[in-house]
Amino acid sequence: MSSVRRVARPESPMRSVPLLSEHNLGHYPEFRQFFRDEFGLASAPFAAPPVLAAGQGLYELVFVGYSGQPFPAGVEINALVPGLEPLDEDAADAALGSILLWLVDNLGGDWTADGLQTVAKIYRVPVPAKASAAAAPSGPADRLSRLL
Amino acid sequence: MPQTIASLPQEIRERYPYTSRFLTVNGRRMHYIDEGDRDAPPVLLLHGNPTWGYLWRDVLPPILSAGFRAVVPDMIGMGLSEKPHDHRALTLDNHTADVVALLQRLDLRKVTVVCHDWGGPTGLGAILTRPDRAAAVAVMSTWAWASPASEFHQRVMPWRYMHAPLIGGYLLGRHGAMPGRGMYLSVVDRDRFRAEASAGFEAVLDEPDKRAATWIWPRYIPIGRDSDVTLPRFDWLEAGVARLELPASVIWGREDDVFPAEPFARRWHELWPHAEGTHYVTGRHFLQEDSGAEIGELVTDFVRRVSRIGKAG
Repeated sequence: MSSVRRVARPESPMRSVPLLSEHNLGHYPEFRQFFRDEFGLASAPFAAPPVLAAGQGLYELVFVGYSGQPFPAGVEINALVPGLEPLDEDAADAALGSILLWLVDNLGGDWTADGLQTVAKIYRVPVPAKASAAAAPSGPADRLSRLL
Repeated sequence: MPQTIASLPQEIRERYPYTSRFLTVNGRRMHYIDEGDRDAPPVLLLHGNPTWGYLWRDVLPPILSAGFRAVVPDMIGMGLSEKPHDHRALTLDNHTADVVALLQRLDLRKVTVVCHDWGGPTGLGAILTRPDRAAAVAVMSTWAWASPASEFHQRVMPWRYMHAPLIGGYLLGRHGAMPGRGMYLSVVDRDRFRAEASAGFEAVLDEPDKRAATWIWPRYIPIGRDSDVTLPRFDWLEAGVARLELPASVIWGREDDVFPAEPFARRWHELWPHAEGTHYVTGRHFLQEDSGAEIGELVTDFVRRVSRIGKAG
């Protein structure tokens, strides 16, 4: 899942397009712990949403809290789209698949990229193969990564 | 304008030719059908995930032909009922309270409650909350305890992936893995299901935002992990169910591999030594898809006998 990486937030105006909303990261606490560790949320819970580059697009992670629950309680994944350009829906869906593969690959334990791909295959849900997930990106995300 | 049975494609309407009705339960719009003589003994048929009243379409004709009243709700978040975006409306306790509200709003008394999948925990929870309303109970491919848990539900692949954080929303929400492919894998006659039934389940869950309940509901199944948030509720259910002395019938699919008859059907008989059955039919978890009419006859025969007992008493 090398195609997914953290990048700087673009300076140009971007529109957030909600793609996937999770209200209960604590359902399996290792998911919440991963995000806490990966993005330093214990020390900076209200920092600007981190941005991931996946495929040719950019995706922000907005962490959500609920009173009385460990932070983050949830996370929203939004596509960042320039101006009023329409979302490339197929690319966004493939990017979500890549982000999920990146997530389970980093989680380890019960969660593996092979496992997710197998389940997706059983239920005929498109999830990028490892090879395509590692494809070199181009476009805005690539340009940003070269700037880092 | 809420979606109704009349607004669904013709092939679905013809298989479920009933009148859509609505009432509010806990502030949400619940769809249900209410067929047959209002003064006849009522039968309440409760579905689970990812189904709706349509699941009972082949079970209903024998019940109605025998002269009984049939009430079939769609649980909130499913079927033609309101599909709230707020996940807190979709907890097990709120689903159960929705059934309690339905019993009250329709003033159902001496009702036979027929439970499949989540219809077990919700229906039995409602019976325990309003014990004066129920006359009998029939269960199929369902449970009301934390242990034993289903081996299928404990497996990482595929089940725990299906409701894992973010992954559940992607597989079941964005891509609708449950009403189509998921059900297809849990029936015996898959060709028939694909040709005649699948569209009826997919039509009412045709957008990602409508499918939230399909990936939220599984999170309330206790599987022996720290994430089990419903353990106290299932402990309460099991204790209460064990004290129920209602006439009971156990109906099970021979090929059920989500809640296999051993140990699940056996467990019902341990809790209810007086229960009849197990009546085995052809079927996996969604046994109504393979043996709906046969189940309808079994339920009808059961209700007929229970009603006689009620009248005699």
